[in-house]
Amino acid sequence: MTPSSPFLCVITDEALCPLSLAEKALKGGATMIQLRHKQASGSQLFLWAVEIRKLCQKHQAICIINDRVDIAMASQADGVHLGQQDMPIDAARKLLGKHRIIGVSASSVKEAVQAEKDGADYIGFGHIFPTSSKEKDYSPLGAETLRQAAALLSLPIVAIGGISLENAALLISSGASAVAVISAVSRAPDPTFAAHKLLCAINKSRS
Amino acid sequence: MNGNRTKNNHLPRLYLISSGEEMAGSDTLLLNQLALLPRSHPCMVQIREKKLSTKELLTLALKARKIELPEGTFLLMNERVDLALAASLDGVHLPENACSAKVLRTLAPKLIYGCSVHSPSALRVAEEAGADYLLFGPVFDTPSKRIYGAPQGLEKLGALCRATSLPVFALGGITQKNAALCMTKGAYGIAALSLFRDTARLADTIEELYLQLNP
Repeated sequence: MTPSSPFLCVITDEALCPLSLAEKALKGGATMIQLRHKQASGSQLFLWAVEIRKLCQKHQAICIINDRVDIAMASQADGVHLGQQDMPIDAARKLLGKHRIIGVSASSVKEAVQAEKDGADYIGFGHIFPTSSKEKDYSPLGAETLRQAAALLSLPIVAIGGISLENAALLISSGASAVAVISAVSRAPDPTFAAHKLLCAINKSRS
Repeated sequence: MNGNRTKNNHLPRLYLISSGEEMAGSDTLLLNQLALLPRSHPCMVQIREKKLSTKELLTLALKARKIELPEGTFLLMNERVDLALAASLDGVHLPENACSAKVLRTLAPKLIYGCSVHSPSALRVAEEAGADYLLFGPVFDTPSKRIYGAPQGLEKLGALCRATSLPVFALGGITQKNAALCMTKGAYGIAALSLFRDTARLADTIEELYLQLNP
């Protein structure tokens, strides 16, 4: 269901056009694009989702929609990413069927274990490092907590939060199957090159 | 493709929209309202709670669905077809900027699809998308919509009703006193939020309105 690891998930940036970002990230080798835009209207999200899904297919990448199971269904995206305040996994699974991917955010080992039990396909685990992309009310989990989660889980873990070229490899060697980034790609002078360099970094860490 | 004719012939003429002020928790205004609906008067009921998370919305919708409602009452979710399906609701109401009813109907063919319409061009879009009913407003002055300027007024309501064969619900500042005016302009029914907030009077309010709604 999820790609062979290690892989790179690029999440769209609320302040930038998701289409052009997705295209640039995919050219750099991003394995998964997550469309996340809390302010956009349903019609706008649907149009973006359809286009990003097409781009992902062209690049053999995976298209994931944040929160909106309805938009994922309508656009025939590969799956959804659900936060702890989004639709519960069992309800989403009934709507999406077993072949679509359901990723779930966890900000503690406990939440991650619960999400695995509830039938998630991957765990978005974070934030690992301090991040400016989202307002957070808890402190970063750090690579050690990631290691603990990885020891307990059999699902792929996508590490998220404050990930950069410098620390990405450490997270893979700590047990993550993938890293997810927003600003490390979206705000880079050359997003395609930034995605490419991140992929190189996490692939080197394997050996 | 137009909407399901047999279905929209049976739509109730009174349309209750949730207050928008639901809190996560058990003792909510909407659930009280639903429990107090008079048995003899079915309603359209739309859950529209922008402040709740998706998870909280689903919890609310599941609780609403468990309440025994007057026969012929339809329970709708604002915009989110996924939540309507997950809670076995009867339909969705789509704002003008929502994903098209035509697309959503392919996912959930049995649901009722309503569309908000604020202009003639939006009417064409809604008809083309196969809407089952339309919601038009604000017809009269209403505090929550003043930021958008003057109300649309009865004449525009009349023009919209003449331009479509779909049922049109008039929304915005509707009371027992002006509901009949909307009906004379061709409205199919009326919709309101604050009119239904006083749960102690809810049954009376609905009785009084129904007397005004016979076309």
